[in-house]
Amino acid sequence: MGKSSKDKRDLYYRRAKEEGWRARSAFKLLQLNQEFNLFDGITRVVDLCAAPGSWSQVLSRELQGKNAKIVAVDLQPMTPIDGVTTIQADITHPNTLQTILDIFAGEQADFVCSDGAPDVTGLHDLDEYIQAQLILSALQLTTCLLKPGGTFVAKIFRGRDIDLLYSQLSYLFERVICAKPRASRGTSLEAFIVCLGYKPRPGWNPKLDLQTSTEEFFEGADIGKAGNLEHFELPDDEERKIAKFVACGDINDVDSDATYTLELNRLALEPVQMPTAPPYKKALEMKRRGDLIRR
Amino acid sequence: MSGFNQISSLNEVEFAPLHHYGPVTALKIYKNYVLAGYGPILKIYQMTQGDLLDVAEVFCKQVFSRNKIHHIEITSQGRLCLSGARSFMVLDLEEVLQGKGNFKERAINEWIVTCAFYENWLLILNSHNVVYKVDLASFEFDKVHCQEKSILYSGSIQVLDNGTVYVAAGTVMSGVIIWDLHSRKIVHNLTDHEGSIFGVKVDKTGKYIVSCSDDRSIKLYDFASGTVLATGWGHGSRIWTLEFFKGDNVKIMSTGEDCSLRLWQYQEGNSQLVQLEMVENCHSGKHIWSGDVDDLEYQVCVTGGADGRIKLHDLNKVNRTEYSLQEISSQTGLVFGKKDFIRDYFELKDRLIVLISNGDLVEYSDNSFKTIAFNDQHKLKDFAIVKGFSDINIVIIAARNGDLLIADFTSDLPQLSWIQDEYLGSNKLTNLLVYSTDNKYYVLVDVPNPNIPFILREFDSSFNLVNVTQLSQPNQTSFTTTDMVVDSVNNWLVIASRYVTIAAYDLSTTSMALFKKLSPGDTITSVQIITSKTNELALLILVKDGSYLYTTLTLSTTFHLDVTHANKLTKGFIEGGYIKSNKLVLYGFKSSYFYIWNETCQFEIMNELCGGSHRQWKLAPSKFIYVKDKTTLVIRNIAHRFVNDGLIHLGTHGREIRDVAVSPDGKLLVSASEDATIAVSQLEDGVKGIWSMNNHISGLQRVKFLNSEYMASSAANEEFIIWKVTQSNIPLVKEFVRLKPSAVENPDLRIMNFASIELESNVFILVTVYSNSNIKIWRIDLNKEHYGDMVKLLVNDFYTTCCILNVELLQKDDKTWLMIGATDGYVTIWDVTSKLDPEEHKLGASIIHQQLHQNGVKAMEVFTHQDGYRLITGGDDNALVVCDLQVPDLKLDIVGYEESAASATITSISVVGEHKFVTTSVDQIVRIWEYNEGLTCLSARYTTIADTGCSASMGSTIYIGGAGLSSWKVNNL
Ligand SMILES: C[S@@+](CC[C@H](N)C(=O)[O-])C[C@H]1O[C@@H](n2cnc3c(N)ncnc32)[C@H](O)[C@@H]1O
Repeated sequence: MGKSSKDKRDLYYRRAKEEGWRARSAFKLLQLNQEFNLFDGITRVVDLCAAPGSWSQVLSRELQGKNAKIVAVDLQPMTPIDGVTTIQADITHPNTLQTILDIFAGEQADFVCSDGAPDVTGLHDLDEYIQAQLILSALQLTTCLLKPGGTFVAKIFRGRDIDLLYSQLSYLFERVICAKPRASRGTSLEAFIVCLGYKPRPGWNPKLDLQTSTEEFFEGADIGKAGNLEHFELPDDEERKIAKFVACGDINDVDSDATYTLELNRLALEPVQMPTAPPYKKALEMKRRGDLIRR
Repeated sequence: MSGFNQISSLNEVEFAPLHHYGPVTALKIYKNYVLAGYGPILKIYQMTQGDLLDVAEVFCKQVFSRNKIHHIEITSQGRLCLSGARSFMVLDLEEVLQGKGNFKERAINEWIVTCAFYENWLLILNSHNVVYKVDLASFEFDKVHCQEKSILYSGSIQVLDNGTVYVAAGTVMSGVIIWDLHSRKIVHNLTDHEGSIFGVKVDKTGKYIVSCSDDRSIKLYDFASGTVLATGWGHGSRIWTLEFFKGDNVKIMSTGEDCSLRLWQYQEGNSQLVQLEMVENCHSGKHIWSGDVDDLEYQVCVTGGADGRIKLHDLNKVNRTEYSLQEISSQTGLVFGKKDFIRDYFELKDRLIVLISNGDLVEYSDNSFKTIAFNDQHKLKDFAIVKGFSDINIVIIAARNGDLLIADFTSDLPQLSWIQDEYLGSNKLTNLLVYSTDNKYYVLVDVPNPNIPFILREFDSSFNLVNVTQLSQPNQTSFTTTDMVVDSVNNWLVIASRYVTIAAYDLSTTSMALFKKLSPGDTITSVQIITSKTNELALLILVKDGSYLYTTLTLSTTFHLDVTHANKLTKGFIEGGYIKSNKLVLYGFKSSYFYIWNETCQFEIMNELCGGSHRQWKLAPSKFIYVKDKTTLVIRNIAHRFVNDGLIHLGTHGREIRDVAVSPDGKLLVSASEDATIAVSQLEDGVKGIWSMNNHISGLQRVKFLNSEYMASSAANEEFIIWKVTQSNIPLVKEFVRLKPSAVENPDLRIMNFASIELESNVFILVTVYSNSNIKIWRIDLNKEHYGDMVKLLVNDFYTTCCILNVELLQKDDKTWLMIGATDGYVTIWDVTSKLDPEEHKLGASIIHQQLHQNGVKAMEVFTHQDGYRLITGGDDNALVVCDLQVPDLKLDIVGYEESAASATITSISVVGEHKFVTTSVDQIVRIWEYNEGLTCLSARYTTIADTGCSASMGSTIYIGGAGLSSWKVNNL
């Protein structure tokens, strides 16, 4: 997470730095908790797509002294956090889910969250698909690990077909809510599904198999997902539902869309977590040296 | 949770899609056809070779109901497969073209990466690296995989002549997996890249593999060993497409996020791929999503962008010839000194006349030079200017003392003669301007002494001197002539100068008027006649710094000049330009490049790395001629191979569209985009882009018409511009005035929205609302001349600290109200009747402050209803609220409420009938609602425009903007 001048002017960003959070995202989880009391009585949690780790920080603080188990997973390396087991891996890979299950060694989790987001390409349908895969992978783990009655929270982008996901989740949870914390920018499609009260599908025994894809995994779950039809006929439109929307956080909280006038040099803000090297680092270096072929 | 979503598809026939512009997601060249996946629409173009290669649309149909076509596969027999997202369709091209296609959409339950035909099977690679092997007769299938099921970002299938089938899979995490379909064995797991793999292909001989990734490099591998042979660096961001040339498999084309097309070649032993060619500035905004190459038959490549444009590019090598002075010397036998250089030249129809600095004249034709016999070298030795009239084969060379050498090349033997100067005395000539119109040929001589008149000579088409006019120079020391035109209809002469100044002469009376500083900038490089009728001359004025102006010159007792259009190129300096079939073409220099740019369609026609403008250069119709190192003449041919310079389909903005508005007469559509441009388009058989205005530099928020003559736009950095729109055969637009920002500069401070009411002709009450909760009310009198008289701030106050999203001004019975909707979900109304006199006021207490939404009031529409108003709001919370406002106190009653009116943020509301309105939302569903006692959704239909963010209606037509633009007709109103 770099530090542009825009970030500096962002009040949540500044507060995060002042309060020691690694990212402004911390406030999103805190505001979700304010509305839904997510942390009540939980001790075993999984934080997927966790880097740089502000959600894990929040969870570690909230669960302090409760003999908690917190497992955090991300593609990117994470600086260690007290009481958090970190794993660097791809959550869409079945091996990763197996590793997490192994750590829990038969115990169930109380809370699974994922704040995952892919690097968007700009092709909206592809980006939505990859995001859906992240959510399905997280859900896959959830169905294998979450205790009945447990909670699942995941980042979504409210684009086309989000109502398909709402409908599928409604088979698995008592309540499914689309929540928008005030710390999440109003101009962004970002929101969070808060799924309360896990109810395992009767007659379906979710089992992780390294050879099945996420789609195949859910085939027996009967949650209204279209499978392959005979001769690949175009399926009738799948079941769609509109989840209840809840804006959360205090209305007097900082508005992430507003422009505030600030004294900018009040604080020297250093990033807590060093940004990781992007894949195109070499290309940038070559450009700086003038080695990129222009014409 | 509420019940099932019944309003994702409903009475779809109520909407009739009219036009659509959006990302071009797939392209394929097949024989003489170009097949395009235009989102869910299949377009087929036919190439016809005449004098120029013409490309015309022969087929267009939406073939997928929702999904975009991301891949097109076609066999040499014309068997065709379209695929994208979960959909695929198998067709026969012949049948499609004959109108007999069976457009049956099929689907699998996962994302399709690519498709290929193999014998009687269709192979479908899904995003989990599994191939569906589908029997094309029965549509029964097998799933085939290689045990490695990572998520794929890209992939391809290559069927070799010997029947081997390779699957090339690009994973999310740096790996390229090549596996054999028959043995299901992994042949290579290539990990040379970093980051997600966005493209991978095996060439058709199975000798090479090429891939690209988030690391912005292209890697070519030897298939047999799996080792990297060469890497290509150059793309400035991610690379989206890779294609091997069809004939020459060591050549590769690539396109990417940086909007560039690049051609590469592998040379054995070189670890870098050699970049043969790079084409920039062929698409607007970001992303060339698709492309294909044909190096066998038509020597073209084709690209498709996020801007919805499809563009053809010439693969033929650029034809450029160079001649050094030495070469000229050895061909002609002339002897030049060490310090001699090429002074100037002029291109005639069949030859080029070149003047050397020693005064020698040579002629270049049929690829060779010969001497022009001539004795007065000494007169042209230290100074000379070469101009001419190619249509009558005349070259004119001006000497320092004002004498003119006329060289007539009508017959094989050039006729040379001098016109001796009689006017300049001891003054030295500094410029020679020429112009022809209506079989009259004008030559103007300029000297720096303002007391010496300009000498205007008129010749007939046999180049006999007809007339000499002396025109007193403008009484201005710095009037340096740069260009001129003569208007034969009115007998007017217009001379351009530095400091964006022009002088207009009535040649019948020699009376003159001077128009100074028409725009910021320095030298006018070119002036041209657009149209001319009695007493009205439309002129195009081009300024070196990149500005261009459309102006109208009229004469009553004195000349009057009106600037009707002003815009500025962001890409470089302008040296000249022309209007050709209603398209404005500009040329000039950008750093070391010379470019020709189609400003109307926003693409570069050609460029030449020539070293910049500090050299002798001239542009002839099909040649760019310049001098390198003072002594080398370079002739760069400009091959016009294509009709429309290869523009197959125009498209729109290359970034998200933030707002759209239709002019009150319904003729224009203006759109404001994330790329910071305002596009002005004509609504005539679709949306035809005319101008792309660059005045804003910050992210745009809104654009609206104030009345039929003025529109306004708002943006970040407190930018607010009022534009004047003039309707002529094309619309003309210029910045009329911009509001001054607050004292403290804050680039993040956005003017989120604005509203206005017209008090009397061109006098407005305007309200602007800001991202820091600021509300400003202004009185704007556009009839006034000076900013201070034109703009008066009436109210400057703050709502809270939250961002304001919407605003309306209402006026009835001498009362004026201000209404806002903000990110806190509230609608607030003030009575501002007493605040409209020119004195700075505060807003005071609001009369209504009511929460209608949980958070952002994203869309807000008010219209008069019975005695009062009806208010409709749409929220980030998916809800739609209908309220009635009673006059005189504007009491607000909620009369209609739908909690789940969309499955995601409602972004705009457009009223289409008395009780009907249309909403757009980011779930990509457009809905018609009716409020009549209750709120009902009449119709809901999917739009392929993602990021659906804005709409505007005109009668029953609605325009929808987002990642693209489309227009729909609402039936049964
Ligand atoms: C918005 S950040 C999460 C921020 C985090 N919740 C915090 O508070 O610090 C999204 C993260 O998703 C991760 N991610 C994306 N795709 C992933 C995948 N397939 N597996 C694991 N992590 C992934 C990214 O690496 C990125 O760190």
